[in-house]
Amino acid sequence: MGEPAAAETVIVIDDDYTMRFSCGKILTKMGLQAEVFEDGARGLDGVATAKPAMVIVDLKMPGISGMEVISRVHEIDPQIIIVVITGYATIDTAVEAVRRGAYDFLPKPFSPDELRLIVNRGLERRRLAMESQHHEIEQTMLKRRFVTFVSHQLRTPLVAIHQYLDVLKHLDQEDDVPRFRRREWLDRCLTRIDELQNLITDWLTLAQVEGGTLSKERIKVDLNTVISPILKAYEQTASAKNVSLQAQLSEDCLFVWGDRNCLNVLFDNLITNAIKYNKSGGTVTVSGSQSRGEVVIAIADTGVGIPEKYRPFLFAEFFRVKDDSAKKTVGTGLGLHISKKIVSEMGGTIDVESEVGVGSTFWVRLPAWHEPEAAREG
Amino acid sequence: MQDEKRILMVDDDHDFVEAVSCFLELNGFRVFRAYNGADGIRLAKMERPDLILMDIMMNERTEGFFTIHEIRRDPALKNVPIFVLSSFCTRLPDFEIPASGGWLTHDMFFAKPVDTAQLLEKIRQRVGVTA
Repeated sequence: MGEPAAAETVIVIDDDYTMRFSCGKILTKMGLQAEVFEDGARGLDGVATAKPAMVIVDLKMPGISGMEVISRVHEIDPQIIIVVITGYATIDTAVEAVRRGAYDFLPKPFSPDELRLIVNRGLERRRLAMESQHHEIEQTMLKRRFVTFVSHQLRTPLVAIHQYLDVLKHLDQEDDVPRFRRREWLDRCLTRIDELQNLITDWLTLAQVEGGTLSKERIKVDLNTVISPILKAYEQTASAKNVSLQAQLSEDCLFVWGDRNCLNVLFDNLITNAIKYNKSGGTVTVSGSQSRGEVVIAIADTGVGIPEKYRPFLFAEFFRVKDDSAKKTVGTGLGLHISKKIVSEMGGTIDVESEVGVGSTFWVRLPAWHEPEAAREG
Repeated sequence: MQDEKRILMVDDDHDFVEAVSCFLELNGFRVFRAYNGADGIRLAKMERPDLILMDIMMNERTEGFFTIHEIRRDPALKNVPIFVLSSFCTRLPDFEIPASGGWLTHDMFFAKPVDTAQLLEKIRQRVGVTA
């Protein structure tokens, strides 16, 4: 919406010259494009060519009646706002007109202010309707793209596994493929199956986070009791990659008000990433402290780092850094997206600092737990 | 003895490339591997393959189509047979794609995963190798 929108067109259909003339003048002064017609037939032609935002029509006219104009206008475009002009005596007809799809009515005689008010209200309503329709279309397209994307993501590893097995089947007799390669292929099949498993798990977690079923609980959680077991669980994975894990967590002050499941998923994601994208001989340092009502956890790695151009998209669904160094690492592109959702749900924030070749640090800030006033005793 | 026929395979899935090209190599072909469209174009111009196996959805959703277009612009490659191997539509059987659709009559479409033996047979037919 950067540039100013073209003036909206409003068509006035009235057999009374003075009426359509003065309406036209007021509308033009409002910055609208006004077109006036003296009967229904001409008016409808005008509607068909001008595609107006609004039609103001007198109900009582010779020839095609105002009532018929309403339905014909909506046949042309149901989004056009229709306002009917009626005499005092015909308020029942006005109600009927609204039932047939007119947006509002102007009882005669009306002041320029009344006209302006109704026109502005009608146009505003149209803009809202069009915006919400636009939003709906966007949502549908997003969903459709998501489905296409996910099925491609699911199919890719399956295709690779199938292909390995198909080739192995064809070569079964001759033992053409050297034994070590056969072994390597089977390992690759297992890796791709893991990839598939992770994708399904992450996708399910995302659905749970979005549906709110993963994070119903709000209890006092000591982050020491979340993070320490995760670090312990990944000790072997890390040492296999020659990465050392370090914790600098203050005792007794890392209490947050949250859901244990969600916090587990969150720190599991961030810690596995820090190990996965690290270098041999590197370190992962998880530090935590409390300041100004916030618990701040930093997960720092000494890995490949994230190029600046990718950082704005880092937390987006299915985003993965496309550099060759990152491509060798298996990932679903959902981990950080899920993490961000969890953190926002708990009223916190997540940020990243990174330098290519040096490492990345993810900062998680969560509202600290406070002893509720009412529950305090003594 | 027949000349060794040269095949270029363009696909961003390393495992898929490994499985198929290994099979083709064991069956007497020389296979060049490219893992993205740009490398595919470069290798096609450099190696002048007898046939190209092309994926469609790589880094970009339609990378394969652009890659084919670029390859075809080279006069030396404008008639090279291209077999599309893609999972972007599973219902399409492997059929001959009509020239009216911008394809050459000897181009073919295969849905992934491919029947390796059938692919080998079609490649042999196209490049004129007898088993």
